[in-house]
Formats: sequence, structure tokens, C-alpha cells
Amino acid sequence: MMAVLLPAVYATSAALFAGAVDADRERAARWTLRVALVLHAADIVLRALRVQEFPIVDLWTTVSATAFSTALLWSLVARGARHSGSGGILLALVAFVQFLASSFVELEPVARAVPLDTLRIVHVAMSVVAVSALVLSGLHGVLWLTLFREMRNRRFGFLFQRLPDLDVLSRMTRRAALAGFLGLTVGLNVGIALAHSLKSPGFDYRHPEVLLSLLLWVHFGVVAFSQLIPGLGARRASFAAAGGLVVLLLSLFLMLLPNPFHVGA
Amino acid sequence: MDPRASFVLVGLSHRTAPVAVRERYVVRHCDLQSTVTALRGLPDVQECFVLSTCNRTEVLAVGTKGVDLVASLQAQLFRNLEARHVYTYADVQALIHFFRVASGLDSLVLGESEVLAQIKHGMEASAAAGALGPALRPLLQQALHVGKRVRAETALGRGTLSVARVGIDVAARVFGSFERVNALVVGAGETGILVARHLRERGVGCLSFATRRPERAQDAARELGAEIAGLDRLRELVLRADLIVACVEADAPPLEVQHFDRRALARRDRPMVVLDLSVPRAVAAQVASLSPNLIVSDLDDLQRAVHENERGRARAVDGTSEILVAEIHKFLTLRTYSAFTPAIADLRRRFEQVRETTLDAISGTRTDPKEVQIAHELTKRLLDVALDQMKAGARSVRSEETLEVEYQRFLQSLSTERAPGCGPETP
Repeated sequence: MMAVLLPAVYATSAALFAGAVDADRERAARWTLRVALVLHAADIVLRALRVQEFPIVDLWTTVSATAFSTALLWSLVARGARHSGSGGILLALVAFVQFLASSFVELEPVARAVPLDTLRIVHVAMSVVAVSALVLSGLHGVLWLTLFREMRNRRFGFLFQRLPDLDVLSRMTRRAALAGFLGLTVGLNVGIALAHSLKSPGFDYRHPEVLLSLLLWVHFGVVAFSQLIPGLGARRASFAAAGGLVVLLLSLFLMLLPNPFHVGA
Repeated sequence: MDPRASFVLVGLSHRTAPVAVRERYVVRHCDLQSTVTALRGLPDVQECFVLSTCNRTEVLAVGTKGVDLVASLQAQLFRNLEARHVYTYADVQALIHFFRVASGLDSLVLGESEVLAQIKHGMEASAAAGALGPALRPLLQQALHVGKRVRAETALGRGTLSVARVGIDVAARVFGSFERVNALVVGAGETGILVARHLRERGVGCLSFATRRPERAQDAARELGAEIAGLDRLRELVLRADLIVACVEADAPPLEVQHFDRRALARRDRPMVVLDLSVPRAVAAQVASLSPNLIVSDLDDLQRAVHENERGRARAVDGTSEILVAEIHKFLTLRTYSAFTPAIADLRRRFEQVRETTLDAISGTRTDPKEVQIAHELTKRLLDVALDQMKAGARSVRSEETLEVEYQRFLQSLSTERAPGCGPETP
């Protein structure tokens, strides 16, 4: 039932946020998102109870957890920015990702052959949070560039009416990048420590996956602190965040390929 | 007032013409009186009034009934203008249109109140040109009254709406808060000062004025805590500005490409917003292509931004049609009734003459004060009955129900009209 319910509730909240032209409708949208998040959290907990271990066990449970984390982080970032105008677009994407996850995830959860230890749980959890945050940052960067282009081309349509101000979008980009940067800092360090402690034979700093992860860490670090860097204004930071999104997708693709040190992570 | 006179209105506005057309036919404040004089000199024009704002240029004229003034007015004020940009209204339709204009219902920014001041300016120019008479003067006064009443009694007046405010709202979509914004207002006229006030209310970080005559805007600059400079320092002020708002009345654009430092623009990464609230436009067309960081918007762009919020507009005009219909009815009644004024004076004189003759015939030289009092009271009451009947007759010339139908027909004709090259339909 959750497989159908979760994407449907996310899609409903996305539709409500997209059409939230007054405070009442926005309140309804926020409540729908809360329901979606509670249901999703319950689903993750139930799966953990059934397999008696950390519930991220395969690709599609990872995708579902990323969808949950993205929605949760967006609600926190939007709350901080006091503007939910990007909710329609962001949550529609979450609904789509969750739809994919619900379509392919095993209905009967299967436990790993070897349960994860605490360090690995931290590594996986922080990586999921970091990926969600970086996706959010990248998408807000794309939204900034889109809205700026709309205004520059003198188009004042739906995006102009619904999206937050450029300044707010820029702030959301930086905050999400900061969350991603912190998550990635923990996830990467724990991952590297694990690789060293296990003396993983295939681990190499020059491996493309490690290099891309380090590149992302530096890249989004720059985006997160762009306000402090002279000459790096909202426009360049948004370009950087949008570019980072492309690197992130490439990095995720590399993670799907078999490699000697990342099996089962 | 001559009942044989009729109203004719010819004009163009943001609904029918883009700013590129409007700026060619704008009548500058200093030219208003001479324009009215020229129009008044046309054959069969008895009275006339010109309204010229950034949204519209219109002439309202009174002519002899049956004589078509449209062609001559159009040839005088809108020479070489394509017919699709011009609208013409006669009599009640002209009244409906003009009362809507005064109410801000036909404005780019719904309910904006600047139009009332502009009508007053137009009245002064018409009066100075000797073009205001018994037909137009009461109409214009009633239009001002209607404008105030509509704003006071409906949602239209909530919030202080103006083009200046809409411009600042669009800029706010870029900057969010104005605290760190360095704003430059080019022109220190009414709109310029209004823009500066809105910016101050929103806590703008730094505010400057650039104007042709800095000495004339010293007080406003001091009150608003703004720096003031002449147009010769424009390049220096533009260099450090994040937001430039141009609201000047000039034939040649005062804000040219050479006022912008290309190198500085290439270096800066913060968006720069240039709002052109002037008609004719004050920012040269090439400025927009100077840098990918520049957002340049003129009045047509603001109109598009405003029109996207149609739902809010529909809510705001609730209740305005009842007021307008009632006021037009009142005006037409008064107009018809005032046409009876000579007849009423004559009737009163004749009643009094008959009374005096009758009293003389009955009492001779020994008049009883009681009889005189009765005769006076009787005359007065009979006269009141006659006047009441005349008033009823004046009121029934056009009933409110008929006017309501005409008003709805007018609104329908507006909704089927499409503005060529402007308005929400234009991408």
C-alpha cells in the first residue's frame, strides 16, 4: 500500500504547493507534506524492524531514502527561507523519484548477508543526506538561473509569480550546499577511514569515484561559502551549483558501476 | 449647459498601444495648454480636455450633437497613428470610460491614484486655455469625486498602488531585501520622489538622485536622506548602483550606453536592475544587451507582470460597477436638469408675477398680511410640485437599469479588445 501511497501523497503536496496562491492553500500543502514525511518515515522504520538492521539495503531503498531526505531537507530549507515557492517543482521531482523507488523496491525486505556496523551506517546515512542536499542546492541553482533568465527576457509568467525572489533562491542554494558539504565531510571522512582501517585492496585516491566525491566536496564548499568569496555572486554561485548537480549525477552513476572498495556500501 | 452638445473621447492607452507608440504621442506637461488651445480651435469643438500620462493620451471634447469630431481630433492629436491603436467613445460610453479612468480601473496598475492628480493638471491646463465650460467642468469634477469614492468604498483603494510601487515590487523579486541595495533614481519629479519614498520605506541601503536641476529637489533629497547630483555625474552614480529607476520627462534618453562602464559590468556578478518608468522611455534600447547581469524593464514589462495576477484584479474591482453606474446616472440627471435651469427661472418668475397680479386684483391697496402669507405659501408649494415633476422627468431620461446594461456592454467590448503589441497576451 505504501508503494502507491507515498508517491501519491508527495505528488499531491507538490500540486498543492504549485497552486498555493494564498495562506490557506499553503497551509494545506504544508500539512500534506508533513503527512507524506510521517508516512515515509514510518515505512523506513517498519522496513528496519522487519529486516532487523539499517533499512538501506539496496539501490531502490537508497533511492527511496534519498527522496525522503530531499523532501525533509527542502521543508527545513524552505522554513528557514520563509518561502515555499520552489515546493511545486522540487516535490514533483521527489514524487517521481519515489514513484521509481516504489516501482522497483522489494515488497518483502531482504536483509544483507552481513549487517552494517555503526561506521558504515554513518557513512551511508550521511552520504544519502549529502546527496539530497546537493541535489537541492543544484536544483535551486537551476531555478535561480531560470528565473533570472525569465526576468531578463521580460517574461513574467508562472515561474515569476510562483518562485521565491532571486535572493531567497540564492540563500536556499547556499544553505542546501552547506548541508551537503557538512554531510559529505562526515560521509567522506568516515568512508576513507573505513577503507584505511580495512586496508581495502582496491581503494585508491585516484579512483574516479573518490576523485569526483572530493571534487564535489570542494565544489559545494565553495558554493556554500560563496558569499565570503570576492567576485562570486549569486549568478556565478548558481552556475556552480547547477554544474555541481551534473558532477553529482555522474558520481552517482559511477557508484552504480562495480568497483573493488565500494561493494555493499 | 447646452443639451444639444455631445461628448467625444479619442485616445490611446496601454491597452491599445505599446510604450514605443505611446511615447510618440505623449503630451508633455509644459505643452498641455498649447495642445488644448489648438484642439479648442478646431471647428465645432466647444470645450476640450487632454489627459496625458505614462499609460494614456486622451482628448475629451464637447461638440455640437450630430457633428463628427473624431476625425479632426484624431488628425490633430494622433497624426499618422494606425487606427488599431486608437479608441473612440461617444456620450455615455465616453462617460463610462472616463469615470473608469478616474477610478484607476483602466490603469496599468489597478486603482493607482496618480491619475487623479493628472486629471487635475489637465483641468488646470484646460481652464487656462479657456476650454472648460458648463459641460466639461462638472464632468471632470464628478470624475474626481468618483475616483475618490471608488477608492474609499471598495477594495481598490486598499494599499497605495502606483506604477512606482509595482516597479519596486519587481526589483524586490531580484534583491529580496533592499538593505544592501544601492539605488539611483534618475529624475526627481513626482514619480521619482514616490519611487524614492517606497525605497526608503523598504529600507534601501543607499539612495541617490540624478536630476537635471539638483537645486530643485534639495528638500526631497534631504527628507529622504538621499545624495543628489546633476546628470553630468550620471556615469559615476551608475557605476555603483544596483538598482536604477528612470522617471524623467525628456525627448532624448538620458540614460545611454556610455553611462555604463562595460568593464565594471563584466566584473560584477550581482544582478543590476534598470527600471524605466518614463514615457518617452529614458533608457536607450541598447543598454539591455550590455551585460548578462542586467535586467531592464519598461512600463510594458511591468504591465505584463501586473496582468499575471488576474485573480487579484477581479477581486479588487468588486463593487465598483454599482458605484460607477450610480454616479453616471447622477451626472446625466444633473446634466438634463441643469438644461432646465432657464425654464425653471422663467417659471418661478411667472408664478410670482401671477401671484402679485392676483393679490392686487383681490385686495387692491389694502393687503391683509395673512392673505399675502397664504399666497406666498401656495405659490411655493405649486412651484415645488412642478419642479419635482421636472426632476422626475430628468431622472427618467436614462434609468439606472439601462445604464447598468450599457456598462456591462462596455465591459464586454473591453474584454474582446486585444491590445496590439502590448498587454498580457504578448509574450
